[in-house]
Amino acid sequence: MGMNEFVFLLNGLKWTILLTAIGFVGGIPFGFLIALARTSTHPLVMTAARAWVGLFQGTPLLMQLFVVFFGLPLIGLEVAPWLAVGIAFTAHASAYLGDIWRGSIQAVPKGQSEACHALGLGYGSTMRDVVLPQALKLSLPATIGFLVQLIKGTSLAAIVGFVELSRTGQMLSNLIYKPLLVFSVVGALYFLICWPVSLLGRRLERQLTTGRR
Amino acid sequence: MPVNLDFWIVLQRWPELMLGISNTIILALSGMTLALVIGILGVAIQRAGEPISTFLVSGFVEIIRNTPFLVQIFFIFFALPFLGIRLSQNVTAILALGLNGGAYAIEIIRAGVDAVPKGQWEAGFALGLRARDIFRIIVLKPALRAIYPSLTSQFVLLTLNTAICTSISALELTSVGQRIEDETFRSFEVYFTLTAIYLVLSLCVMALLNVIGKRMFHYPTK
Amino acid sequence: MTKANNHFRDGIGRRALIAAVTLAAVLPLVVPHVTNARSLDDAKRSGKLVVGVSGDNPPFGFVDTSGTQQGYDSEIAKAFAKNLGLELEFIQLSLAARIPSLLSEKVDILIAGLGMTPERAKSIQFTMPYLETKMYVVGKRDTKITSPDNLGSLSIGTPRSSTLDTLLTAVAPKSTDIRRFDDDSATIQALLSGQVPAIAANQFAMERLEGLAPGTYENKIVIGGVWYGAATRPGEKDWNKAFNDFFQAYRTSDEYRALFKKWIKNDVPQFPAELKGITFVAQ
Repeated sequence: MGMNEFVFLLNGLKWTILLTAIGFVGGIPFGFLIALARTSTHPLVMTAARAWVGLFQGTPLLMQLFVVFFGLPLIGLEVAPWLAVGIAFTAHASAYLGDIWRGSIQAVPKGQSEACHALGLGYGSTMRDVVLPQALKLSLPATIGFLVQLIKGTSLAAIVGFVELSRTGQMLSNLIYKPLLVFSVVGALYFLICWPVSLLGRRLERQLTTGRR
Repeated sequence: MPVNLDFWIVLQRWPELMLGISNTIILALSGMTLALVIGILGVAIQRAGEPISTFLVSGFVEIIRNTPFLVQIFFIFFALPFLGIRLSQNVTAILALGLNGGAYAIEIIRAGVDAVPKGQWEAGFALGLRARDIFRIIVLKPALRAIYPSLTSQFVLLTLNTAICTSISALELTSVGQRIEDETFRSFEVYFTLTAIYLVLSLCVMALLNVIGKRMFHYPTK
Repeated sequence: MTKANNHFRDGIGRRALIAAVTLAAVLPLVVPHVTNARSLDDAKRSGKLVVGVSGDNPPFGFVDTSGTQQGYDSEIAKAFAKNLGLELEFIQLSLAARIPSLLSEKVDILIAGLGMTPERAKSIQFTMPYLETKMYVVGKRDTKITSPDNLGSLSIGTPRSSTLDTLLTAVAPKSTDIRRFDDDSATIQALLSGQVPAIAANQFAMERLEGLAPGTYENKIVIGGVWYGAATRPGEKDWNKAFNDFFQAYRTSDEYRALFKKWIKNDVPQFPAELKGITFVAQ
């Protein structure tokens, strides 16, 4: 496998990174909304958020991709395939991130918000200045862990026809008839992107727990 | 604007869908069993202290957790034959599910084992038991009990991963749905139906694992 | 179990609900709503032609190692775009996504190695055919397959959602273990790795296989022949007429003859005036 073929794989990698970025960056604001909705005491809002999270955690990512890909046109949104898949990943990320952040909001001691209430701070200020910063810090390991899941999840875009890294590997394997080599390289490329992120997550987790012992 | 939706054209083929569901369940349960075995063995090796084997297990875990399941299953199905190892689509699916689930299980179960009080081990040694017997008889069950919720979540994910096995021509729910899609072109209806079925399936698996958990761990702790 | 620590007795709940309902009501009005399929005039106004193609199906449509869309279908698409005076945009589609993508208006027209069958003609509008290929069962030299009956005891791979699938299913006995893969790439991988002893493939596969593993495989039996046509949405006469008019003239040109020789390695065939169960012209 020469340089040309390796560049071919790198082109696929480009899409992997792009789809991950869209999903993660898109998922953050919506995940944030889901987390807030999930910690609301209004029953309808909380249930809706809970249903959203349950839906995405209880069904395969592959199905989510297909449903959004074929479903968007039905609600009048005819977008390019990459955007359809991007929207699917965004929705997926919003559910998982929303759940992670919901957990971390609830992990912040109640004393913090009680103190804010005693000081006369409203909902907005309490969340913005006291609870959320702490929640965010607590959530970092899990959030970064999810980023790794998302990177791996983009491989499923292959089944919807995307020429991202996994699909490129499949195609290259046919062109040069060396599946062992090609899939090993593809695996190595995924590993090279995911592993540092995983390690970062673990390091942050250690740092966070050190402070709490 | 929206084309007319026709769900009946999909739902009328419920016998095939049922076959797909039963195959999915078989793959999932087999995968879970293998994953549990790999998880327990992996932790046992890691905690045994032997540097080389510990390193190998850790390496295995890192590789599996940092590469996509699709690539893993493609590797086993399409690439391993070139090393002389050719496995059928069902065996490949179960193996891939088991290895993938097993790597995560190792991490989860290890946390449980580490959470068991040191006193348990010390008491075991004081009674003259070997480490592996202590692990098997005394430590394992409380360890599993401690991390059981995490393990069930992981196993639900494993069940959902069976959908990916369609790419190596394994017969399960998604492959049945895709057959219907090929013949009717009703992609949205097919995948919407499959999604609903998977949701019910994952709830059932969760419930089943909870019931098993209640029976297995129904002993007082204090 | 302790009560969930949500920090507030009264969260954003009510305000959020009002916001969400408002958003749901307003969004459909604000987001650009494409209510009709893109007509030929719409395309001409936008200056762009969006063609659905295959990304990994040589020689019809495939992406080469430098990322460029190539192949017989792609060349026809380019000539069509030139004929209309429009800029061309390729959308690579998986086998199964071709027809649904056309019907859900992701593309204006499909030129994606789509075999013309009466079943498909019920859902989409084909144009006049632009290519014919023979379909075979291809297998290892030492596997005995001399008639469809031999398939009954074997596993045969095929890409799903393709005419290969349709033809193989029709020809093979009920006891055949037909193994369906997502696309041509995976099917050929299955053959090369020995996961299946034979696959359904078009006439071009043998050349590729011979290059990859000389002397190992051969064409066994013919399972049918298929004409390929471009496809548009039912009822859209403008697109159908545009392609038919274009190809009617194009197929007698020297440029086309050269194109055909290059990709199909053959002479331009006699195109049929009609095919059973399939109309070329939109009613």
